[in-house]
Amino acid sequence: MQVTVRYLAAAGAALLALAVGSQTVEAQALDRILKEKKIRITAEVTSPPFGILDKDNKPTGSEVETARQLAKDLGVELELIQVTGPQRIPALLSDRADLAISSLSITTERAKTVWFSSPHGALSIVIGAGKNVNIKSAADLAGKKIGMTRATLEEQVVPKVAPPGTNIVFFDEHSATQQALLSGQVDAIGGAAFLINELAKRNPDKGIETKFTVMTAFYGIAVKPGNFDLLQWVNTWVFVNKQNGVLAKIYKEHTGVDLVDLPNL
Amino acid sequence: MRFFSVNDFLFILAATRWTVLLSLLAFALGGLLGVLVAVLRIARFAPVRLAAAGYIQLFQGTPLLMQLFLIYYGLSLFGWRLDAWTAVTIAYTIYAAAFLGDIWRGCIQAVPKEQWEAGRALAMPYRPQLFLIILPQAIRIAIPPTVGFMVQLVKATAVASIIGFVELTRAGQLMTNATFQPMVVYPIVAGLYFALCWPLSVWSQRLEIQMRVENAIGRQK
Amino acid sequence: MAYVFQFGIVFDQLPLLLEGALLTIRLAATAMVFGLVAAVTCAYLRTSGPKPVRALVAAYVEGIRNTPFLVQLYIIYFSLPALGIRFEANQAAVVAMVISFGAYATEIVRAGVQSVPAGQIEVGFALGLKRLQIYRLIVLFPALKAVFPALASQFILLLLGSSVVSAISANELTAVANSLQSTTFRAFEVYIVATVMYLAIALAFRGFFAAVYWFVFVRGRER
Repeated sequence: MQVTVRYLAAAGAALLALAVGSQTVEAQALDRILKEKKIRITAEVTSPPFGILDKDNKPTGSEVETARQLAKDLGVELELIQVTGPQRIPALLSDRADLAISSLSITTERAKTVWFSSPHGALSIVIGAGKNVNIKSAADLAGKKIGMTRATLEEQVVPKVAPPGTNIVFFDEHSATQQALLSGQVDAIGGAAFLINELAKRNPDKGIETKFTVMTAFYGIAVKPGNFDLLQWVNTWVFVNKQNGVLAKIYKEHTGVDLVDLPNL
Repeated sequence: MRFFSVNDFLFILAATRWTVLLSLLAFALGGLLGVLVAVLRIARFAPVRLAAAGYIQLFQGTPLLMQLFLIYYGLSLFGWRLDAWTAVTIAYTIYAAAFLGDIWRGCIQAVPKEQWEAGRALAMPYRPQLFLIILPQAIRIAIPPTVGFMVQLVKATAVASIIGFVELTRAGQLMTNATFQPMVVYPIVAGLYFALCWPLSVWSQRLEIQMRVENAIGRQK
Repeated sequence: MAYVFQFGIVFDQLPLLLEGALLTIRLAATAMVFGLVAAVTCAYLRTSGPKPVRALVAAYVEGIRNTPFLVQLYIIYFSLPALGIRFEANQAAVVAMVISFGAYATEIVRAGVQSVPAGQIEVGFALGLKRLQIYRLIVLFPALKAVFPALASQFILLLLGSSVVSAISANELTAVANSLQSTTFRAFEVYIVATVMYLAIALAFRGFFAAVYWFVFVRGRER
């Protein structure tokens, strides 16, 4: 009888330890990062100006530099996890990355699967096309082929404003979408205004211009649901760097535009 | 617009080593697994045989891209934190093992039944029969199609570019984006693959002819 | 956090997935028909054509067989427009698949052609038939019969390989699966369902080919 009680007590204690242990493992993302002295952040290198390869083919861009700044402030080494657009969130969910800093616009749809920090930047989604393509508003999209990348904000919003008769095609990532426009495979593309401007600048002979704005959005840093501590630190970091102008500096440097006032989440 | 420069070409060339590395890894690891698969495929115990056959059917009968997606996105659900290289290597290893296992199974079965019978006549149990008599002969038969499959494997690594894995094809995509000259970049990429694969193809064809000649001579004796 | 499988989300979108599957089948079947025609033609040119033509066909076959399908696809869809040749996504996919399948099928058919006993060809010459007639009337049927299984296998490879055309926005099964994944983030469920669909399509085609073989080559031909 004594043995049984002791045995049950030991088993009970073990189970309790397991339960508590597994829960505390969840909440320790920040501690783990600090212990390993390394943080892994997603980097999308085919999304100018947020993420690009510079002339030495090293990753840079406003989001990549933001990631660098964050890692520096946290005092850990940065490991950039190169991802394509549709992989930004899956990389987070599968623990391939700790943070997603890749111009992830804050939407309620995405909030079902990831947790956002307060926004650290803003962008607008526009339709871009060559100058001889006649598009002045959403109604003109009818009968045209519009390309865009999967798992982006434009994928969510453009189909809503496009009239019936618009042929929307999807590519697996930005580089393919951009190439489709430049090679004339699509009449227009949906994307961030900055991206269209970059495209226009890099290819002056194509005469690409922004036709109209679909919507504006704020983007933030995303963490995997459950990482309270990490999210709390990131929010604090965003707050501090909003006040000291560092975020605005990085933003202006890469986008050429002043950062608007960022609300809190 | 950035013109395609030597720097960009070197970037593409540098990425070729990832293609080569992935191919070698997949071939080596897939080869080890493939031997197991081939041997299990001809096991006398029916469930084992069926399991091996099922494995081969599954990975030969589904798109490589799907296998990549499933392993890349899906395995992490079981709590494994896999980085890109590990996930991709696992996927290509499993893929290669299915094909190599099937090829090698065919080669084992191509060894004349008389060889098995000779082993039985010498009172050899199954495993020494397999490893001392059959496999060495099967290996000889297996060399040409195996080299042929290496070509398939190198080409198959291009699919990994779709999940953003940086190898030769992805490097081509990135360079096309940076310079916007697909007319220059993609043919160069194709040329590099050709440079990797064609020598292997030629070698495989030569080996096959050599073996046919040897067999013909052997039969004449 | 334990993962809760939610296949219901995927099954809700089954009609969309089936549409994608239908396009996959259409693309592959179209490519096979044109590819086979190309292969039969090229096999003829490779064995009986003038020397420069033979070299050209050999170069085509080797060039295609030693480069990845995906790169060929990118060249056709992204590079050719610079030369003024613009195929839209589905067309580019079929063109690339025809060119690719054609190369492999050429080699397969050539092997079949060369397996036809020389005696039969000599009979053709003795009867005063011209090269092309011999090819069409005497050689082709037994050649195709001999390599039919190999051609069927190659078609399955073509079918499975077609999943990468999603990368140039062709809206076939893989593309639909990708779109589904990017909105629901249920990668595992989506891709498992898609994979099962590919398996089913491949199996169906294998059965179809077995039936074709019996119908065309075996029925009523007790040879």
